[in-house]
Amino acid sequence: MMDFWKATTPPQQPLPPPTTPTVLQNDAVKGDADDMMNQGSNTQTVAPAGPNSLETRHVTDASQGETASYFPSTTRSEAVLWTLPRADNPSVENGTPSSDYPYEQQPMRIIQDGSNATSAASSSSLGTTNASQAYNGYASYPNSSDPYGYGNAGYPGYYSGYHQHQQTNHSYAQPAEAYQNTGAPHQPISSFKNTGSYAGPASYSGTYYNPGTYQTAGAYPSGGYSNQTTVWNEGNYANYAPHQYSNYISDTTGTYSSGTVAATTQQYQQHYQQWADYSSQTEVICAPGTENLSVASTSNQGLSAPSTSIVYPTSNSQPPPSSNPSWRPDSGLSELPSLQPNAAASGAHDSYWKQRVPSFQNHHASPVQTHFQKPLDSQNSYNNFQDQQKSAYPQVPNSQNPAPHQVLQSFQSPHRVPQTYQPPHLVPQTYQPPHLVPQTYQPSHLVPQTYQSPQPQNCQSPQQSVPSLDLRRGTKVQIPTNPRIASNLALGLPKSDKDSYTASATVKPAYISVSLPKPNDSVSSNDAVNGVIKPDSFPKSLRGYVERALARCKDDAQLAACQAAMKEIITKATADGTLHTRDWDTEPLFPLPSPNIANKDNLHYAAPVSSLPKFKRSPSRRSKSRWEPLPEEKSIDKPVSVSNDTVKYGGWDRKPLSVNSNSKEDGLTSAKFSLNNKKFSSKNAQRRVKKQRLADACNAADNGDASSDSDKKQTLTAYYSGAIALANSPDERKRRENRFKRFEKGQGNQAEINYSKAKKVGNENLYNRRASALVLSQNFDDGASKAVEDIDWDALTVKGTCQDIEKRYLRLTSAPDPTTVRPGEVLQKALLMVQNSHKNYLYKCDQLKSIRQDLTVQRIHNQLTVKVYETHARLALEVGDLPEYNQCQSQLMTLYAEGIAGCHMEFAAYNLLCVILHSNNNRDVLSSMSRLSDKAKQDEAVKHALAVRRAVTSGNYVMFFKLYKSAPNLNACHMDLYVEKMRYKAVSCMSRSYRPTVPVSYIANVLGFTRVLPINEVSREVSDGLEECLEWLKAHGACLTTDNIGELQLDTKTSSSSLYMPEPDDAVAHGDASLAVNDFLARTSL
Amino acid sequence: MAYLSMGEAHRRITEFLNRFSDAVSYQDGSSLKQLFSLSSNSPFLLSLADGLNLFQDANRLIKQSEKYSQFGDIIIPLFRSIQSYKAGNLVDAYNAFEKSANAFIHEFRNWESAWALDSLYVIAYEIRVLAERSDRELASNGKSPDKLKGAGSFLMKVFGVLAGKGQKRIGALHVTCQLFKIYFKLGTVHLCRSVIRSIETARIFDFEEFPKRDKVTYMYYTGRLEVFNENFPAADQKLSYALTHCNPQSEANIRMILKYLIPVKLSIGILPKEWLLEKHNLVEYRKVVQALRRGDLRLLRHALQEHEDRFLRSGVYLVLEKLELQVYQRLLKKIYIIQKQKDPSKAHQMKLEVIAKTLKWLEIDMDLDEVECIVAILIYKNLVKGYFAHKSKVVVLSKQDPFPKLNGKQMNS
Repeated sequence: MMDFWKATTPPQQPLPPPTTPTVLQNDAVKGDADDMMNQGSNTQTVAPAGPNSLETRHVTDASQGETASYFPSTTRSEAVLWTLPRADNPSVENGTPSSDYPYEQQPMRIIQDGSNATSAASSSSLGTTNASQAYNGYASYPNSSDPYGYGNAGYPGYYSGYHQHQQTNHSYAQPAEAYQNTGAPHQPISSFKNTGSYAGPASYSGTYYNPGTYQTAGAYPSGGYSNQTTVWNEGNYANYAPHQYSNYISDTTGTYSSGTVAATTQQYQQHYQQWADYSSQTEVICAPGTENLSVASTSNQGLSAPSTSIVYPTSNSQPPPSSNPSWRPDSGLSELPSLQPNAAASGAHDSYWKQRVPSFQNHHASPVQTHFQKPLDSQNSYNNFQDQQKSAYPQVPNSQNPAPHQVLQSFQSPHRVPQTYQPPHLVPQTYQPPHLVPQTYQPSHLVPQTYQSPQPQNCQSPQQSVPSLDLRRGTKVQIPTNPRIASNLALGLPKSDKDSYTASATVKPAYISVSLPKPNDSVSSNDAVNGVIKPDSFPKSLRGYVERALARCKDDAQLAACQAAMKEIITKATADGTLHTRDWDTEPLFPLPSPNIANKDNLHYAAPVSSLPKFKRSPSRRSKSRWEPLPEEKSIDKPVSVSNDTVKYGGWDRKPLSVNSNSKEDGLTSAKFSLNNKKFSSKNAQRRVKKQRLADACNAADNGDASSDSDKKQTLTAYYSGAIALANSPDERKRRENRFKRFEKGQGNQAEINYSKAKKVGNENLYNRRASALVLSQNFDDGASKAVEDIDWDALTVKGTCQDIEKRYLRLTSAPDPTTVRPGEVLQKALLMVQNSHKNYLYKCDQLKSIRQDLTVQRIHNQLTVKVYETHARLALEVGDLPEYNQCQSQLMTLYAEGIAGCHMEFAAYNLLCVILHSNNNRDVLSSMSRLSDKAKQDEAVKHALAVRRAVTSGNYVMFFKLYKSAPNLNACHMDLYVEKMRYKAVSCMSRSYRPTVPVSYIANVLGFTRVLPINEVSREVSDGLEECLEWLKAHGACLTTDNIGELQLDTKTSSSSLYMPEPDDAVAHGDASLAVNDFLARTSL
Repeated sequence: MAYLSMGEAHRRITEFLNRFSDAVSYQDGSSLKQLFSLSSNSPFLLSLADGLNLFQDANRLIKQSEKYSQFGDIIIPLFRSIQSYKAGNLVDAYNAFEKSANAFIHEFRNWESAWALDSLYVIAYEIRVLAERSDRELASNGKSPDKLKGAGSFLMKVFGVLAGKGQKRIGALHVTCQLFKIYFKLGTVHLCRSVIRSIETARIFDFEEFPKRDKVTYMYYTGRLEVFNENFPAADQKLSYALTHCNPQSEANIRMILKYLIPVKLSIGILPKEWLLEKHNLVEYRKVVQALRRGDLRLLRHALQEHEDRFLRSGVYLVLEKLELQVYQRLLKKIYIIQKQKDPSKAHQMKLEVIAKTLKWLEIDMDLDEVECIVAILIYKNLVKGYFAHKSKVVVLSKQDPFPKLNGKQMNS
């Protein structure tokens, strides 16, 4: 992860323009997808959070008009830019709060998205970040950038995926958070963004924004950012403060629907209108956002009913009634009350609470609206999403996309009722493609089980969010580049803001912080999970065992319980050291735990007050199981968590501290992030997970957890909720961890599978592949158990569809596009065409290089490949193009080593000659000689080459030129390049040894001049050779005399001191004749 | 494996820990180095591995006590390495050992005196040997063997730690020699250059100050490098140094040195006595030397062909091949001597046909042009004094010392 981040972030920064486009795209995507997928998109955005800066930016973009600013300077520079846009946006927002922003942003985003899609590598990196964003994920997938984003995000992607998943799960709840976050900063935007980025994104965006503001204070030099954020915050706050809070609250539960929803809904509507351009997508998105919010609330209600088992489905259908009681917070209504109580409970956070309360009220009000909108939006969004994806990434969709899309669709269908849910799911789905793991997710999503996972995630996420908030406060220093960092920044701001917190600023920061931390947390949590339990490290038999065990589960609750049990077993086995030794294939399955257990756990969460102590307890456990493998970290985590809890409850000030400690402990993200960021990120990750879980719970309302979470959230600010989530009972944590792990595993495996499938499909998106590659790489990093060679590159190769026989060579600067890559059959024809062509070498070389490129890109290693390289090598040899020849030669050596038939001996001889004649390294000669097999030594060409070597090392010029005349194949072409040297040596030797003269005719004969023009008529041959020799001798300063018979003689005595090596007539720049185009043309235009 | 009680396992582990901490606190380098000597297969370490297999919680044990935990970074991976080594998993053993070694270097850097130099030697040796073996394991599994390369960069780091002022610098040559071994094995001898430069130019190093065994090893490898460069006088000087300072008991080392020194000496015209070749079992050179003595080109070619693989591997093939000119010189000299016996007045005029005829007797088929070329080269390289008259196809030899001896000088190139 870290590496990826680092790697990705730099490129991103350097490529601000692309980022902006990407952002736009993301936004657009978000807009569309988000609306529909809002949650999903949010989740994606969250995922992007991993990519941090990009994602954050995207998020911000999505959420705020700020996105534009983000674009320019991915991080800080953007901030400046942002300021302007933000200022505008804020004003707009303030006036027509979110609507303006959203509009601007959305269009921008859309544009950007398009650009991103087009933008190749650079954009891709950006895209990745974008991809990381919820929309990004989608967009990115289709776009190359997306895959990159994934890749870049790598971990982030995963994380984001996880986050997304979580978020998505949470998204219901989290979305609210996200919304809130976005909402807080950009309420209108947030709504939109929320829809897009949704929980994940929203939170991220929020974090981002916050970071932005924070950053301005700290890392971000540009006041713009901070200003913007502040502006936003202010505007939003004024308007949104309540909304945000409400959003938050709503997030926890249905949150979205909360005050923000109410406001947002209107805004959304406006947005929608504006978005109309975007078409239904944006609108949908917007609507989804609002809808999501509302939906969330509704969903919460609905969820509450279903929460116990099937969150989404139930929520939709069941929403209101049954769930409400159990879910206390879940339903919007329930939430409102719960929130209010919370507020009452937490006197210290009065402002928060107050805000929340309003928000809750809003939620209540909004829920209805949201509900209405939600269904529509969700559907629309889905449609939009699908459409967009299809249109944007037609290619990709086929292979990978289909799966995700389908998943999404499937999700959607189930989700539609829980529309809000759907978005998150969608996001996860998008993630899924990269993760493959998603499959697990998908199942989970599709099936109630997935929901379960989400629930836990939600729970976690809320918790995380809370921590994140704390973190934010604690860690003021955030780096914009990393989304997570951004979140950190947000955190940092919070610190400074602590005071302000109570004021409007507090609200914003809270949002921001919450949102940021959430993503971070989730990401980190994912990381942590990964770190703790690496699926990769598990023996296959164990995986099978887990699968078998989980397959028995009939519903979510069972699944959760099952997972918890599994985790215990695995951790125990790990502790015993029997993890790899035990025969999991024969290990008896544990008795299926009753779902009640899970519910019970959930119940624990339900009571916020009770949860506090629990939380404290839980942290320690979590730290052990989840987070770092290192005991130290664990220990730290525990205290941290406790501190967080206390802090959370007690006051913000403490929270930051706790956050810091957490971050330090985690250290997972540290490498990529700045120190602060690292800390935050790590903490954030945990928090995120918690948050997500909380959000999920809230959203889903299925589980008691959700209800409890929602309650908590309501009672406490989002931070608190996050804290609570963190504090949640160890069992839940374990479950969550298990789930996370499972996802990871699933992701890794699934990703590969998916990719392979994609291959089969034929039309695979490069993007997808890239994403998968990135994912794989991420996995690799995470697991550290997966060797590079284990990556299934086969799954990443392109299958070309281009039918053109002729193709110009262009060095790839981005992932290859299958439409411009020729498949093997076409390449065969192309090779024939080149072989029969009468055009000059430049043309042939160009064609051959493009053929080689297509072969490489498709990883074709067969006789055709050998033929192509042999053809090119021979051509290059004929014209003396050594650099090109060397490329072919080295490729051929590996191809022959693979056992592919070809003219092995011929090229072995060439290789030998090359080493002998063009390198002065005795060791090279020795090693290439010792590599020759006995059989090779019997080959005529090789024998010839060895004889040449002998002649050269002994300086036997007579032998050399005899061999030159009898050279098989193109050996003479190699020797050509040495002839000049050999002749000079020979003449200096002669002028030293011979006295008094040497006949020029003898020299011409011995030094091979007679064969210079072999095509000439025989009668003229000798004389031509003589003339040539004469010219050569004169050119090299030899003294010639004529003897009494009239024959030309070389005066050796005088020549011995006058010989010199003339500057070659055809000297060219760089001393490389092959670089002289004119020379080529002159020599090869036959 | 005999049954091992938990208590026994615990005892073994604590014994190791105690030995380690005692060695460090008493600065007892010789007992410390034993604890790292994985490949010595010492029963102590092997039994420790059994103990570690049984007693899972060794890490906790280490962390419990301040005495041990300060070396946790060294010991924990070391334990893992020992376990993997015992289990035959060399790649894991190497990875863990490198981790441990890194931590050790870190500690070593902080130790004022050079008391732990012995341990460092052992670590440098172990890491190289482990890397070689794990590379073999990797190669047999079809994976790319990159551990030796990794060991090379690790030792480079160690070299950096030692290459400073103070007592530790005398360890630098030892590490350099381990590096040479790695580079020669990997075929990346060009990497030796930077190390050699710092050894030979850095003022902090006084070559005579280094331990003798390291000096001998260093000279051996640098001498080999000179052989590759065909800088025979320098190679002769370095290899001779190695030979004279080499422990006379270490027969194998002397043989290794002679393997390169003999071709070098031959190239500068110094032939070894027969008994030397036999004493050190360097019979592959016997025919070469005989050919040089007799001017028997066929014998030389046969000898080269016979041991081609061996000579190619050791890298002296090209050197020996170049002896051909000396064989020609010897052949011409013999002809000259015979001519002189027949007719001293015309002895200095040697007909090309005569040379070609003698070559034919040796069953070497060369046409006159080639023979002429060989003669020209001999004159050009100053192996023959005189000139060649093309018109009459006669080699006109100088009347004074027509066949100058090399006498330790390198043939003109």
